[in-house]
Amino acid sequence: MSDNHDHAPCEHCGIFTVAAQYGGNIPIQGAWRDITYDPVRDNIWTATDGAHRTIFVEGKKGVIAFDTFMSPGTARAYTAAIGRVFPKKPIHTIVYSHEHLDHCGYAADMAPNADIIAHELANKVIIARGSEGQLPGTEVWEGERKSYLIDDVYFEMLYPGPTHGDGNAAAYFPQSKVLFMVDTVAAGAGYCTLFDWHLKPYISIMRRFLSLDWDIFVPGHFWTLTRKQFIEVLDYWDSLNDFGQQAIIDGIDPHNWEQLNSYTNEKIGPKHAHDFRYYEYAAMNLSRYMQEYLSGGWGIEGNMAPNTNPF
Amino acid sequence: MKENRGNFTADAAQAYLAYEPPMETEQLSSAIWTVTDGQGRAVFIVADSSVIAFDTFGSPGKARAYAKAIATVTDKPIKTIIYTHDHLDHAGFAQDLATDAEIIADEMCAKVIKLRGAEGQTVPTRIVNGKENELIIDGVTVKLLNPGPTHGTGHLTVFFTAEKMLYSSDTILANAKYGFLPDYHFCQFVNNMRSFLDLEWDKFIPGRYELTDRAGFERGCNFIEAIQIACQCAFAEFVPIWAYEPMYGYVHGKLNEEYGDLEGFNEHIGQMAIRIVHHYLMGGWGLEDTPEGGFNLLAETS
Repeated sequence: MSDNHDHAPCEHCGIFTVAAQYGGNIPIQGAWRDITYDPVRDNIWTATDGAHRTIFVEGKKGVIAFDTFMSPGTARAYTAAIGRVFPKKPIHTIVYSHEHLDHCGYAADMAPNADIIAHELANKVIIARGSEGQLPGTEVWEGERKSYLIDDVYFEMLYPGPTHGDGNAAAYFPQSKVLFMVDTVAAGAGYCTLFDWHLKPYISIMRRFLSLDWDIFVPGHFWTLTRKQFIEVLDYWDSLNDFGQQAIIDGIDPHNWEQLNSYTNEKIGPKHAHDFRYYEYAAMNLSRYMQEYLSGGWGIEGNMAPNTNPF
Repeated sequence: MKENRGNFTADAAQAYLAYEPPMETEQLSSAIWTVTDGQGRAVFIVADSSVIAFDTFGSPGKARAYAKAIATVTDKPIKTIIYTHDHLDHAGFAQDLATDAEIIADEMCAKVIKLRGAEGQTVPTRIVNGKENELIIDGVTVKLLNPGPTHGTGHLTVFFTAEKMLYSSDTILANAKYGFLPDYHFCQFVNNMRSFLDLEWDKFIPGRYELTDRAGFERGCNFIEAIQIACQCAFAEFVPIWAYEPMYGYVHGKLNEEYGDLEGFNEHIGQMAIRIVHHYLMGGWGLEDTPEGGFNLLAETS
């Protein structure tokens, strides 16, 4: 890479199939985006491109980075951002929160020689997907809970059950009282049609984290939340369970975009219209919840009885 | 009488669940009929001494209306129900269609149904697996095909060899009314659907709306593929892919000339675009949506 952020000769393509239309290089893949960073607490930092968010942690000799951002360009920008905070410390470990490309797709562009920690359920999908730029785990863990002490940094990885994606795990820093988890809880109504969410077990499973001692939640999008805000977001999704079935009872067609928006504003708007990105996504949120009653949960993950035991 | 609830928990759902819509029945061959409530569509066969019904419709009332529609053309009992896939809106209410019928389904469809435990959705009693099964039921040969992940779990397409007809629920439509494309597996969807073009048939029966022919089916495959390409281009060219209006504008502009005549195109293309572009952002959903297919958490279904 040159200093003026020119694109590399051939960027990793993820699962795009249209690279030939762009002379072999998809414009957005190489684009540089500024990554901003802030301290969270103790040795934990957070980084964001404005939409996606992650954390990185300072060790004695190097840095443990969670996730990779959504493209080769943002992965490189993430590495550069970490380098500005810790110029003498290499990224020796990447921890995947889950398997989706928009968060974990480009380790090859971020730190190709780093160890990669992934839950086995995420890793199976990553291997089967074979996406260009996404590296499989080198340290694959199983089950619900695993403690790590790496480079003098202690954290626990917690897989609570199906929530979003496959093998989606939280990172818990008990000494700092910080919890990090991606694409499960975030501010407002910010998740379109709740892509790859497993709604039946989701809320009960997420509430398991309330058995742990933490007061800062770092989500995979937007800004950090307090424990109270985390609970309020779960309450919003819980309320959509009721709105979803009521919308069907009231004869709403989930595929009728105008009707869906009108109904959403009438029923959900009075309480949530001021929530972050309500007008963009609340109708899409409702449409997805309606499907839970119309079609049933989706696949094995969307039909499992949740484990609600505290951690 | 309290209706079977499916996944509903609200008592207020009873009236919705009980409603029996008018059904329209059309004969497709000497033994094969199709039934629609104007949106959903199913197929049944009048066999030697009984009826083989595919799917159940999506509520107890609709299942009863389906049974009544069948009774308008034959007094033979429904002794077999074949599920095309696991979703409640097509296969959720066998208990209200024919309580004692044998239920045939793909192995993975059966596993998901058992796990779901929805009230009214009978767990299959006869399991098929693999890509192709030819069953002889009450004197009728039924060919069930599973080319790989398309929609839902354990999806079966029915090939009526002699009649040269194909029935596939919630995969390809004769129009553009797909909405947010719930539970579609895009990695291999078009390839798997196009594999049916290797077979000899000339009438396609979808799980919703109108019938179409081979050309309409092929155009449906091309339409989905065209959206996949347009969505990639939108992403590649910095369109804000998480926002409805820009995605609607970009993909509508790319496809309106070739596909704008499809019923529902203007109303649905934005929702379809939002869904499909996220396939490329996120990488597909689960093992089902990878090149080889497969299932995580299979141990949960034993």
